Amino acid sequence: MKKLIKIEWMKVKDYRTFWVLSVLYLISIFGANLIAFRIQQSIFEREKTKMVANLFIGNTPYSFPSNWQMTSWLSSFLMFVPGLLVLISICNEYSYKTHRQNIIDGWSRSQFITAKFLFLFIITTISTLVVFIAALLFGFADGHTSFSLNDCQYIGYFFIQCLSYSSAALLIGVLLKRSGFAIGVYFLYATILENSIAGILNRYANNIGRFLPLESTDNLIPMPFFKSMQKQFLPDTSVALLLGIAAFYLIAYYVVVKKRFETSDL
Amino acid sequence: MQTVLSVKNISKKYGFIQALNNVSFDVPKGSVFGILGPNGSGKTTLLGIVLNVLQPSSGSFELLGKEPDADARKQIGTLLETPNFYHYLSAEKNLQIVAAIKGKGFNNIDNVLKKVNLLERKDSKFSTFSLGMKQRLAIAAALIVDPDVLILDEPTNGLDPVGIAEIRALIQTLSVEGKTIIMASHLLDEVEKVCNYVAILKKGILLTAGKVDEVLVNEEIVEVGCADLSKLMNVLSAYHPKQKDNLLQLYFKTGTAKLDDINKHCFDSGITLNHLHLKKKSLEAKFLEITNN
Repeated sequence: MKKLIKIEWMKVKDYRTFWVLSVLYLISIFGANLIAFRIQQSIFEREKTKMVANLFIGNTPYSFPSNWQMTSWLSSFLMFVPGLLVLISICNEYSYKTHRQNIIDGWSRSQFITAKFLFLFIITTISTLVVFIAALLFGFADGHTSFSLNDCQYIGYFFIQCLSYSSAALLIGVLLKRSGFAIGVYFLYATILENSIAGILNRYANNIGRFLPLESTDNLIPMPFFKSMQKQFLPDTSVALLLGIAAFYLIAYYVVVKKRFETSDL
Repeated sequence: MQTVLSVKNISKKYGFIQALNNVSFDVPKGSVFGILGPNGSGKTTLLGIVLNVLQPSSGSFELLGKEPDADARKQIGTLLETPNFYHYLSAEKNLQIVAAIKGKGFNNIDNVLKKVNLLERKDSKFSTFSLGMKQRLAIAAALIVDPDVLILDEPTNGLDPVGIAEIRALIQTLSVEGKTIIMASHLLDEVEKVCNYVAILKKGILLTAGKVDEVLVNEEIVEVGCADLSKLMNVLSAYHPKQKDNLLQLYFKTGTAKLDDINKHCFDSGITLNHLHLKKKSLEAKFLEITNN
């Protein structure tokens, strides 16, 4: 396994596109939270707005322990980027035909695809780590409450959500192969299409839209404010059920990707 | 005789197209084995199956005397169809990935780059290479583990005449060192120059396989003609004549056709020939004959 990671590392180490996108992504996580944090500050600084905000939102979202949910939720809007990195990685192999060459040179097909899953896992881990650091940072910057690890399960949910988005990206990459096509489909599906389908299903089909592949992990980290209002629109779904569904989809991604790559012509 | 590769009844279908039809042959150890066929005859498909990038519809094969696995491929040097490398990486870093996949160290990289005249370009990105340089890098990659078996698909593709001569010389050197080389080519001339075994494919069907000097044997053709062809046919039946226009053709291995004997035999049988001509058959004609039937 160490060997697979080492070779995957050799592939991206000198790949500038990958690093530029990664750095921009990490900066964006801090940037997005910084913007939200500044808005929070400007609302809670003035007495008038503070009273209204206290009434509707409660404590400052970036104070411990709600910072964990706030940061995870806000950062999840950038969720398509780790998936994009995975997509670029797999589609590059297809366009350079190096997926064939790696097999010809002596990797088994399962080694090749395992290396991609490891790559995806590492990207997810690093993303989660950065979100954890951002939550910690803004929690301390808020300063209204003292440090607390309560509710930091949201960081774990972020990890699962990120794993799910990148695995979906890998599946799309393996199925569509051509990078422009795959990136377009992934981007549209993750940002617009699934949300639309989920909205329609939730409205007309007994709320089953919340069980769609990406939507189910989105629902793990609900909006950290207006909770009572959300409850009027969506039925309460237990976290255990959502985790179960997430696990189901993750296993499905893994099985389909592996089977597809191991049995088809390359 | 040990076999390096044994292909058994391999067929491959792409939808309605039968790319390979029940192909079987053995590649003996130490041979330079040419797989010869026109474009689209299934050469690359066959090698793709042997290298596990394509799945056969039916049939099986043995590589290095056992069921094929990834470890067998690690010991083989391969160039399939086009040179496949990471465009954004340098020649050296691309070869490092190949070596790492094959479980080898990096100490042979400079050596193989030197062999294909790319050492001074080792830090250049693959995307900056010309077609011929890409091809030479692919050959360097095939040599990186100092393999006992090489599979080369159209190895001289895209090379200039000097490059072609260099690669052919390299193949001959490797062959002298006792390595087995399996080479696909659509160039008869190339196969004839470097190979000692050949398998000829056409539209996915194996037409013939064997030693080059037996399969691509040079022939002599004697054309004879007279007023009464049917009578001549009877008289010469021992030679298995074939009629072509208003002449009969008799086939002989090189150096065995004796015109005076034929003439005498006909005259003794009461036939006066009005045409008697010896033709040498070229390899191209032989190849066309094999692939046209």
